[in-house]
Parts: sequence; C-alpha cells; structure tokens
Amino acid sequence: MGPSSAPRRLSGMQKQVLSLYRGFLRAARTKSAEDRQRIESIVSIEFRRNAKEVDRKNFLYIEYLLRRGKKQLDQLRSPDIVGLSATNVSFSQTKAPTH
Amino acid sequence: MATGLIRRAIASASSRSTAASFRYVCVRTMASEAQAQQVDLKARDKTDVKTFSIYRWNPDNPKKPELKEYEIDLKECGPMVLDALIKIKNEMDPTLTFRRSCREGICGSCAMNIDGCNGLACLTKIAPSNAGATMITPLPHMFVIKDLVVDMTNFYNQYKSIEPWLKRKTPAAELDGKEIRQSKKDRAKLDGMYECILCACCSTSCPSYWWNPESYLGPAALLHANRWISDSRDEYTEERLDAVNDEFKLYRCHTILNCARACPKGLNPGKQIQHIKQLQLKP
Repeated sequence: MGPSSAPRRLSGMQKQVLSLYRGFLRAARTKSAEDRQRIESIVSIEFRRNAKEVDRKNFLYIEYLLRRGKKQLDQLRSPDIVGLSATNVSFSQTKAPTH
Repeated sequence: MATGLIRRAIASASSRSTAASFRYVCVRTMASEAQAQQVDLKARDKTDVKTFSIYRWNPDNPKKPELKEYEIDLKECGPMVLDALIKIKNEMDPTLTFRRSCREGICGSCAMNIDGCNGLACLTKIAPSNAGATMITPLPHMFVIKDLVVDMTNFYNQYKSIEPWLKRKTPAAELDGKEIRQSKKDRAKLDGMYECILCACCSTSCPSYWWNPESYLGPAALLHANRWISDSRDEYTEERLDAVNDEFKLYRCHTILNCARACPKGLNPGKQIQHIKQLQLKP
C-alpha cells in the first residue's frame, strides 16, 4: 500500500463538494433501505465520474455542478420524494431538419 | 426612383399611339424593356444582412463561454429580436437555447440583455443593419444555466418572501361573504404596480442588486411589496412595513434608477421604493 492520498488542506470549493456529498448521504439515510442503496450508488457514481473527467481548474463548470447538485439535494430532502433513478440516453447522430 | 424615370420615358415615347390602346401598349413596352426588368430584379435580390453575436455556453460541453456570430437577412425576418432568435434556431443553429412564450410582452420569459440594455426580446426592435452587430447576452450577474437561460430561483424566492397575497385580520364572515369593497381612488393607488410581469429586467439592471443579490430584495420584489402595502383591502400594512424595514432588504437602494430605465412595461420601481421609505419614516 502506498502513502495516504488524503490532501492536507482542502480548498473552499473542495469543501463545498464534500459537504454536498455528505448532504446527499445524510438525505439518503432518511429514505427506505433499498432506496437508500440506490441513491448512494447513483450519487457516488456521479461524483466519482465528475472527479475524474472535470478539470480541477474549470471553476465555471464546477460551480454550475455544485448549484445543480444543491437544487437536487433540496428536492431529495423533501419528505414527498421517495427515491432517485438514472437512465442512460445515448446521443445518436441527428439530421438537420430539411424543409 | 430610376424605375419611375424609365416608366415616364416609356409613357412619353408611346404617347404617340392611339388613346384606346395606350395603356396596353405602355404595359407591353415596359415588359419588353430590359432595363426595367433588371432594376426590378435588383430590388428583390438585395439582402439586408444583420449580424447578431449571441452569448453561448453549454453545460454538457463546458468550455469558456463565447460570443457566436450569426447573420440574418432582415428582409426575411420579423421586426423583433425574438423573431431573429427563432429564425436562427429554426434554420441555422437548433442548439441555441432561450426562454420565450407569449411573443407579445406579457409573460416576461424572454428577458435578456440586448446591446447592453435589459429588455424583452419580443418587444425590442432589431436595430438597422448599418448600425453594426447586435450583441445578445443573458441578464447580467445571474447564474447561467445554458446559453441565454438564467437561474431565476433566487429572484422568485425573494418575491415569495414578501408574501404577495391579501392578508386580513377580520374574519370573512363579517363581510357577509361578498367581495371586499374598494373605492376607485384606492384602486388607482395600485396603478403602476399591478402591471409588473416579473421579467427581472429591473432587478438585474440594478448595480446594488448585482453586489448583494442574496440580501437586497431588488426593485421588482420591493415594487410588489409596495403594491401590497398600498392595497386598502390588506390589513397587515404595519407588519409588511416592519418585514422590509431592514438595512439590507430595503436600504441597499441608493436611487440609482436603472430599474425605471430598464422596465419594458414602463413602470418605475424606484418611485415605489421611495414610497416605502417615506412610509417607514412615520412613527
């Protein structure tokens, strides 16, 4: 095993991302058991994928994702919502409309 | 002008023919006149090309936001900026994203910044092509969701926070179930405030709102606050005044009056804010 990869000082934006992740996990705890598992898996996949794909310096996009995530978290927290689900949409080549 | 001269020349040339067939001869000579045909074709071929440089940013493909240029023939397009945007979306770039609904300036969806001034795209005429390119950007100092679409949740939450509904203390049974009466004079007090369509043009043109969007309510919300404060049927006037009487909620207004300039419906939010401030002075 190599040395621990935990960074020593987290930037403000990194702290926000982590607190958003924590918020999602806490909200998932309030739902039923199987929904909780689904929410946790969807959220962790999304966060890990973005951590790999998004450039660390791309502040504009990270802030956009944070705002979107906060809105989704507010929706999830409401007691009416029971769970999350995700579908994959594949973008096929669409032709421009010809008149 | 040239066509007129040619037509007059033909008329004088064919005036020598008999009066009965004068008009027919005239038409035939004009039809065969090559020059007249050429001038007609030129008038139809002339295209009035106008350039629009529009702010583009795609959250799915996040690069830096850019101003993309589009060229439109104004002869084949309606007079308003919204017509041009719809034409660009239909024919040139279907990925251009913007909000729109009524196309007549009553819904407030198409609010955007056109050539530096906030306004409704469906009410702003396209400037003539010799005036240079028109720049279309989203409402200033608002978070952008995509292209010209901005995040209005903070704006709507501020409107919600002033409780824009009628509140009464006397129970409805006392009024024998009929409507609450209001004199014409009292109803006239609401003119200039009820017409607000919540397009956010005024709030996003206020520099004070740019620097404090979360704490300052903004001209639109304060205009509506005054609408409910001035409503004679509402009985919670004092509570409403106390709710707004905050250093940040109301007194971030420094009478910059950009709001009155930007309002596409011609309202004056600055004047309504002054009215609230004056009411606060009463003990």
